[in-house]
Amino acid sequence: MNTNSNIYTVIYTTIIVVVVAALLSFVSQSLKGKQEANEKADTISQMMTAAGFGTKPEFQKIGNAAVLERYAEEIESAYTVDIEGNKVSDLPLDKVYSPSELKKQNYNIKGAGDAELPVFEFKNGITVVPIYGAGLWGPVWGYIAFNKPEGGVISIKGAYFDHESETAGLGARIKDDPAFQGEFAGEMPEFGSSNVFDIVKGGSPKNDDGSELLDNKIDAITGATMTSQGLEAAIDTWLGAYSKHFQAGMAIVTILESLEDQASVETEETKKEEE
Amino acid sequence: MNAKLKETLLNPIFKGNPITVLVLGICSSLAVTVTLKGALVMALSVIVVTGISSLILSLLRNTIPSRVRIIVQLVVVAMMVILVDQVLKSFEATYAIDKQLSVYIGLIITNCIVMGRIEAFALGNKPLPSFLDGVANGAGYGLILIIVAFFRELLGSGTLFGFDILNRFGYVSNNLVILPPFALILLGCIIWVQRSIQKDLQEK
Repeated sequence: MNTNSNIYTVIYTTIIVVVVAALLSFVSQSLKGKQEANEKADTISQMMTAAGFGTKPEFQKIGNAAVLERYAEEIESAYTVDIEGNKVSDLPLDKVYSPSELKKQNYNIKGAGDAELPVFEFKNGITVVPIYGAGLWGPVWGYIAFNKPEGGVISIKGAYFDHESETAGLGARIKDDPAFQGEFAGEMPEFGSSNVFDIVKGGSPKNDDGSELLDNKIDAITGATMTSQGLEAAIDTWLGAYSKHFQAGMAIVTILESLEDQASVETEETKKEEE
Repeated sequence: MNAKLKETLLNPIFKGNPITVLVLGICSSLAVTVTLKGALVMALSVIVVTGISSLILSLLRNTIPSRVRIIVQLVVVAMMVILVDQVLKSFEATYAIDKQLSVYIGLIITNCIVMGRIEAFALGNKPLPSFLDGVANGAGYGLILIIVAFFRELLGSGTLFGFDILNRFGYVSNNLVILPPFALILLGCIIWVQRSIQKDLQEK
């Protein structure tokens, strides 16, 4: 047979491509469930790492089933809020957001639709929210955990970031470098301002005694300016969208605390009167 | 096993090693050799891809229209790479490694060893020798990967396969070893050693 005729070539390539495509889609469909289970456990371990329940290698060691079990023990509630800070709906306790779902909400925050942003609350009072944005080569996303509001302010407990294809050794350090993620602990984003959080060269300007002058700035990664800027934009966008939610939370705590103060003052006064 | 098959299988491991002699597949050998685990998974993936795509294309070799043979090769190799990636993603044990290797699994398709061996060997030989040639070249690549990763993980992180080795004796991790340039230095040393053993590789 003449294998160089045009008709043969066209038919041959068509058959090859169709066969390969069919095989690949079959394999992709049959492995989908397992892959999603892995991705879910990975996402949960990222959230738990941000919230300080352990480190990523520790969660990897104990395996998927143990990670899911631990999460079920610790999670208190999960719900979505809109940009105005109003609760939209409750989420099932085992629901997590995949990067593609975060991407959709990222468009919504920027005005494509009504954003429904997930909030995860743990039993020890820690709240975890996701962020999502564009790095240098592909998307970056992650989770930021907040301590229980105290004295009208909310501080960050921890953070964990992930990426699709940032440069290994440079931009990839947002995921691989615990020291970078560690910088987030104790910072206080300025909710409601146009500049919620900064990732800049040198971090916060220092006081004379070496303490940080501003609590919403951390040091960026050398050699990864674009990734750092992308991450900063992602944090600004998402924490900006959560601002009303967190401000409402802080306001409630402030009112409660002042009520408690008042109550204690009143009891002292009544005590004095009794005396 | 006859002598010719044995030669096909053993030659790429040392005498005709794809990395140190043909200097193919350098890029990924710099990128994935930070840890032994990553290097091992990468080596196995490349062995599977080179072996099976060589086998498939050798079976098809008399039917492939010569004008589109590179495209047909690409389709088959791409299929194998995607299959390997999908399988690695679906097992709990390999999911984290697949994530760590990220784009480099997908980039096996651009590894010159795969297409090079198909074009140079599989299209002109019977299925069994082609399969062995693919596997052997993958293994030769993997061997160098593992040697480089051994030194990089030991000196860079003080561990082997994640277990503390040098760390126990208060070894401070060397950051240079973790960075890709050090892999190039190590590769250079390996090529040096091989050339001083194998005199016929030296240029006059």
